Order: sequence, then structure tokens, then C-alpha cells
Amino acid sequence: MDISSDEADDWFMESLNTYKDLHVFQLEHPTKVIEWTGDKSICVAGYTGAKSEILELLLPLKLYAGDNQGLCAERDFKVQRGGFSEEPVECLIHIPGTRCVVTSGSSSSTLQIWDIGGDDSDVIKRTGVINLKSTSGKGIKIAPGLTDDPTVLHGSCISDVQLTEIATGRALYTVGNESLDSVSGLKFVNAHVFLICASNGTLLMGDTRDPLTALYPLEESKSGLHWSFGLRSDGFQSESSIVARLSSSAHILLSDLRDLLSPICQTQLNVQHSPPNNDFLKVSWAPVLNSCLSVSGFDGTVHVYNTTDWSTEAQIPQPIFSHRGHEMSHDAKYSGSPAVVTTHSWHQSRPNTLLSAATDGSLHVWDWVDIIPDR
Amino acid sequence: MFHLLCKTCTYRATIKFKHVVQNETLLKRNPMHGAWRRSFNAEHACLESRALPLVHHVNYICDLPENHRFPMGKFPKVLESLFRDQVITDKQVWAPKIASKGLLGCVHTEEYLSNFIGGKISEKDQRRTGFPWSSGLVQRCRYETGGTVLAGEIALQRGLACSTAGGTHHAFPGYGAGFCLLNDLAVTATHLMGVSGSKRKILIVDLDVHQGDGTAFIFKDEPNVFTFSVHCGKNFPLRKQQSDLDVSLEDGTEDKEYLSKVQEHLPWLLETFQPDLVLYDSGVDPHWEDELGRLRLTDEGLYQRDLYVLQTVIKKGIPVATVIGGGYSRDIDQLARRHSIIHRAASKVWREYGL
Repeated sequence: MDISSDEADDWFMESLNTYKDLHVFQLEHPTKVIEWTGDKSICVAGYTGAKSEILELLLPLKLYAGDNQGLCAERDFKVQRGGFSEEPVECLIHIPGTRCVVTSGSSSSTLQIWDIGGDDSDVIKRTGVINLKSTSGKGIKIAPGLTDDPTVLHGSCISDVQLTEIATGRALYTVGNESLDSVSGLKFVNAHVFLICASNGTLLMGDTRDPLTALYPLEESKSGLHWSFGLRSDGFQSESSIVARLSSSAHILLSDLRDLLSPICQTQLNVQHSPPNNDFLKVSWAPVLNSCLSVSGFDGTVHVYNTTDWSTEAQIPQPIFSHRGHEMSHDAKYSGSPAVVTTHSWHQSRPNTLLSAATDGSLHVWDWVDIIPDR
Repeated sequence: MFHLLCKTCTYRATIKFKHVVQNETLLKRNPMHGAWRRSFNAEHACLESRALPLVHHVNYICDLPENHRFPMGKFPKVLESLFRDQVITDKQVWAPKIASKGLLGCVHTEEYLSNFIGGKISEKDQRRTGFPWSSGLVQRCRYETGGTVLAGEIALQRGLACSTAGGTHHAFPGYGAGFCLLNDLAVTATHLMGVSGSKRKILIVDLDVHQGDGTAFIFKDEPNVFTFSVHCGKNFPLRKQQSDLDVSLEDGTEDKEYLSKVQEHLPWLLETFQPDLVLYDSGVDPHWEDELGRLRLTDEGLYQRDLYVLQTVIKKGIPVATVIGGGYSRDIDQLARRHSIIHRAASKVWREYGL
């Protein structure tokens, strides 16, 4: 969609009242990962160049100044540390409780282990490599383990998903399922139970203490669609967790972990279909706001929805907020193609704050004004 | 010493000569007034005061919805800051008359004025301005415009005058935008330019961080008004107009480079255009702490900029009227103090040049 300067100017004026905060940063190279490494810091990494930079950024301090905004002028992201990866970075995860980050790239069958360092260093150093047997050529998805011992769950198709101990490279667990469905995402529900989402929408639930896994294919499988998933990270309250699955045709399925075969509801979102890159599809749950989830990857927008009133009847839900900042930036206007959001992430404690990144290298942190009175 | 005295005398003579000429013009336009009665658009005039004239009105403000981003509270606080620091006293504060529909009609369309004053602006157009319509809003905008007009009139007579508001340069003849609903600089320039015979030449120096697009558009075909804007290229508005001279700066420009850009252009502009009056928009949004501006000037940088502009213009015997322009911060006290930099610089120049 071609945004005129007038539209961008109008959006800018409206944004002064629709956002409580909006901070815009321009990365030299676009990222498709935003991963929290601390309360106020994130990691991003390039995916377009042969050699890619991994950066740890401090969020603009002005965001945390609350009512004392005038005392803090720092509204830029600050580069804390950086390092170089030999390959474009597809996935990046932070191992909780450590200063360790794991990446997977598009050109090799290895996982890279990095030390993002402490106060005394501004260098992100590669400290190890996990060599993988699979050479399927598709991207390797990764997720941090939730045990005390740093581990990483990884795989490019269901049959090669494995849990590896980071310190030793030892395989601790392998999924005993021969399915060659490619993995679009995986995540631990608690210390032992994990969920894998395949690109065709199939879910697989497993327990690292048990070799058996349960497979939950979609009831009506539409070919050609790509699915990605979002699991609300409730920590150990996994009993009431809801999984959201998002398709490349903007279909959303909500399922309860206790009954993955029958979705609670499904709905069609009113967004432009056929995203330019299936990798960009992202659906995630708000950590603080009840029943709210966010969707991006179809265009230059991030939409936030309240799923409270969603049901199985046909309906097209309206977002409670849409962030159009990536479409409206000065750089987006002057580049060849419109910017597409590559990823987004919720702030862990601030209810209405999100981060989002796009193909033009823009990185935004935004806090929108809640116009709906009570939630 | 003698040389300096001579210079000052010559300067005063120049000003007086210009003023005599202009007074006659004023008289011609207002035959009902007596020989030496000044016809100012003022509710309160400080005719006896010999101090720097300041223009302010209590109606420069209006109520806005809670948490509205526009720092409406800054206007009275600018004055308070100057009183508190004893830069000025109330004896030198003039109050403008509200700008009449006739005055506004020289720039704005009949339809827009009628809709604006009558409260018939569409939701979409209101959003574009950033303000929800209210009758209080109409009143404050008209007083603000009246303030700039009065500052211009006083400057023509006294050499220098400063409003505590003004700089609404995003307003176009038929619509408002970017927190601007009436273009005070355009109304002032048009009013003081005159209607016939030998028109006055007006130079508008707009150093607000946003381009003075409304003003540029209004005067694009007017040879007697020169619009000069120094702004940040990536700031609002993305859709730029063409001023007579635009200087577009990169994000992050600091004090030294900024000042050198102004120094590069102002002297030759004054030399070649030879204005009879300068209207100076001393917006503080190029400051590094400004929430919307993308430049990195400091308080000292703004002060040096304002001193430079005022001194350069006044040295040439040209009167100048100033408006505060844009500034955006949630710390209103700090913002007001920043906006008062121009008045402090003007006080210094007023003393320096024995105005």
C-alpha cells in the first residue's frame, strides 16, 4: 500500500494522542528477532547480509521515566554490545538466568552459542557451536529449556527435534516421532512439557521424561497454508494455557492445552492475506493484559486483539489497536517497497508496551493509549 | 567610544526616519486619529514604558482534554519565568486585541473562517490539527494571532517586540494542521505589508524545527514577503512546501553546525532583500530534549542563535518582532523556561543597542 505524505502527516498528528510513548530507532540492517535479555534490554540480529551483526540494545530510558519524563531526555535505543555472526541470523533465543544467547542461521546446520557479556565488556563473543546431524536445509527453530541446567530445544522438522545440553552439546532427549513435517515453532510449557507447531498447523505435545508424544493434526487441513503459533507463557500455570495458531490466510485457531483436538474458537482476521514471507508471521499473547493477543507479518502493521468475546461463530474481529508506525516512517516512504513487520514482542511487565521491527531496519517501542475503559 | 556613540545615533536616526515614514502611512489609513496617536491593535498599551515591549494575553490559553499532548500551560509560564527572574516587569507587558474576522480574512478563506469560528470543522480536519474544536480554542487562536500582529506593529515603532506565543506556521488558508489553526505570521505580514502603494517588505525567519509550510504556501507568489525556514528534514510535515529559502538539516545537528547554517544565510538575505520588518519564529523544538524535534541543540545553542538573529537584524536598523514557535515536552516548567530564552536575548539586545 502506497502511503502518501499527507496520510503519514495525519497519522503523525493522531499518534501524539493515540500513543503514550513511541520511540523509533533505525538499525543499519533489519532484524527478524527481538529477544529480551533483561528488564530493559533486548537482542536483535541481522538476517540480510552475509555477515550479520548481533546487538544488545538498551531500551530508551525515557520509557521508564514515568511522570518524570522531563528529567530524562534519552529517547534512543542504546547499543550496549555487539558481535558478528558468520551467517544471517534466523532465530535467536536468550537462556533465562544466564548471559547466554543461542542463534540458528540460514546457511548452516549448527547452533551458535554466544556470551553477551557483562558490564566490563561491549563484545558479544561466540563461545561454542552445536553441530547438528540434520541437513534438511530448512531453518532450525530453537527454544530455551526451562530447567536450571541451560538447554536448548531445536529442530527443523518434527523427527529431528532434540533437547541439547548447552555446556556439553549432549543430546538429552529426542522426539520419537518420524514425521517430516517442518517445524514452524516450538516452546516449553513448563520444565518438562513442550509444544511443537508444524508449518501445516499440526501440534505435537511431548514430555522430556517420556519418549511418547501426542500429535494433534488440524481437523481440516488446507494445503499451501503456513501456520505459526503463540503460547501464553504462564510459567507453571500450564493447566489453563491457550495456544493460538495463525495461518498465512489470516485464520486464527484458539485451543486449550488440555484439549488440543477441539479448538475453542476460530476466526478470520481482516488483514491482507498472503504475507510476503511466512517467516514473518507472528502471533503472541500479552503477558499482562487478559486475553489479548497480537498479530503481525502480513504488512507493515501490528494488530492487537481482545479475544474475550471471540466464539466459534463466524465473525471478523476488530483490533483494539493497530500500530502503523512502520508504514508511516520517512524511510519507508522513500524506499522501493513498503515495509513489512518481521517480528514483534510484548514488554514483560508494562501492560500496553510492545516492540516491533520491520524489513526497512526500523525498530519501534510503543505504548498505546487505552481508549477502552475497563479491561 | 565616540565612534560607537555615532553609530548608535545613526542607528536611532535610521529607525526614527523609518518610523516617521510609517507613522504617516498609519495616519493616512486612520484619518480619524490625531496627529501622533499610535493606532495599535491593543487592549492594553504600555505607551509610557521605555522597556522591551512584551505582548501577552491571559486568553492565550484554553482548556484541553486531560492528558492532551499540546503543552497549553506554557504560555503563562513563559511570562512567570521572566517575572521570577526579574527580566521584565508588568509595566512592559502589552495585551493584544482579538484578531478580527476582517484581519484574518486577508489570509484565510471565508469558508474556513466561518466553519472554524462557527464550530463546523469535520472530525477528520480536527484530528489533522491535533485539537478537538471548542469555542475556547477559537478564542485563544484569535488572541494569539492578534498578539503577533501587535508585536509587529510595536516593532515598527520601537524596533523590537516579543510575543509570549505565536508561530502557528502550519495553518493554510483553508485548513489547519499540526497544532496550528490560524497562521499568525501570515496574517501579520499581510496586514503590515499594506494594501497599496509602496508595500513594506517583510522577511519571515522561521527557525522552528518543523518547516513553515503554511507560510511558505501562502506567500509563494508574493514578492514582498520572503519566507526563510531552517528545519529538520525528517520532521513533520513529510509533505514539504517550498519556502523562498529552505535549509533542511540532518537528524542530530548540534549547536555549532546549526548556528553556522543560520550565519551562512541571514546576512546576505538582509542585504539583498532589504526588508522593512523581520518576523522571527524562535521555536525551541530544535532542542535535544524536545519530544518531537530530531535535532540536538542545547539551551546555550538556542540563546546564541537568538542573540545572533536579533543582533544581525537590529544592527542593520531593521525592526524585528518575535514569536515563541514550537516546543514539546511533558515538563512544562522546563519548556517554558526554554521558550523564555528569546525574551532574555531580546532584553540583552534592547539594552545593548539602547532601543
